[in-house]
Amino acid sequence: MRGSLSPYIDGRLPSSERQRIESHIEGCEACRRELESLRAMVNLLHRVPLVSPLRSFALAEVAPQRRPAVFGALRAATAVAVLVLAFLFVGDAFHLFGAGLIEEGFGRQVSPIVENVSDMGGALAEGEEYIWPVLEIELALSGVVVILGGATVVLWHRRRKGGEKALKS
Amino acid sequence: MWPMEEAELIQRAKQGDLDCFNRLVERYQREVYNLCLRMLGNAPAAEDATQDAFFSAFRGIGKFRGGSFRAWLFRIAANACRDQLRLLRRRPTTSLDTLPLELEFDQRTLSPEDDALRQELGEEIKRALAALPPDQRLAVILRDIEGLDYEEIAQATGSSLGTVKSRINRGRARLRDHLGQYRELFL
Repeated sequence: MRGSLSPYIDGRLPSSERQRIESHIEGCEACRRELESLRAMVNLLHRVPLVSPLRSFALAEVAPQRRPAVFGALRAATAVAVLVLAFLFVGDAFHLFGAGLIEEGFGRQVSPIVENVSDMGGALAEGEEYIWPVLEIELALSGVVVILGGATVVLWHRRRKGGEKALKS
Repeated sequence: MWPMEEAELIQRAKQGDLDCFNRLVERYQREVYNLCLRMLGNAPAAEDATQDAFFSAFRGIGKFRGGSFRAWLFRIAANACRDQLRLLRRRPTTSLDTLPLELEFDQRTLSPEDDALRQELGEEIKRALAALPPDQRLAVILRDIEGLDYEEIAQATGSSLGTVKSRINRGRARLRDHLGQYRELFL
């Protein structure tokens, strides 16, 4: 019964339900008081005025977005760096670059026959296989990805904020 | 100029016409602001929520698929209020509200004591609203302060008619219990 009193006040009950409530409250003092106090509460809330805001909330023109080219280039560069890094990792794991560095560690492997040409830039002796410094390249590329990615995120965040500010007058 | 129909304004706003959208803002900003003000009980936070709501509405107007535009706006505003409530909880001492809730009574029939009580009652209503669970607060504000019908409230809150009925009923009963000591003034 009590759950129906609010819909009753708002005229939201079908007539049969309405009549049931009306005949009940005639004989039930508690429900009659409940209905009266709820109705009074509703009337009180109707006295809460709609105040006028002190400013307009109209949106201002969107400022042309700055540096879209820089943003696009940064994003593309990050993507390329990530792809290359992924390729390196996968290649490294499947020993595509000569001896697997993952198992054999950092060593720039030098064939035992040509110990005397281990200098960087030195000509490769016969039978020696050039070993790519894959691990170093991977580390360097990771750094590049972090820097490029960071710069992209910062720029994106600024643009978003800038866009919001430009719209809010 | 003949006032443009709401449907046409919405259609043009969907195509990116900011002027048309701003005419919708002018039409609804008072109601949206008051919803935020009563939900948050804090004027500066209500301004922020209202601005955020209209900004989100402009960005998302392409997703408006008909029905009551007002209810659609209120739904966005209710979400903006939720965000502001989180912010207010995080820094509860900032942006103190200075806007009193002034109930509308016929001043001529009120004695000075009654007028003092009226102001007290206004502040008490603010406290009572703040003490309601947010879902009930939203339903009661939309129904009894903003004057929406049950269907619009269901659309604005994304709930069923049964849920709306029950929230309004429970919210009103709790408010009345909270204001028990002022009963002589409003009963």
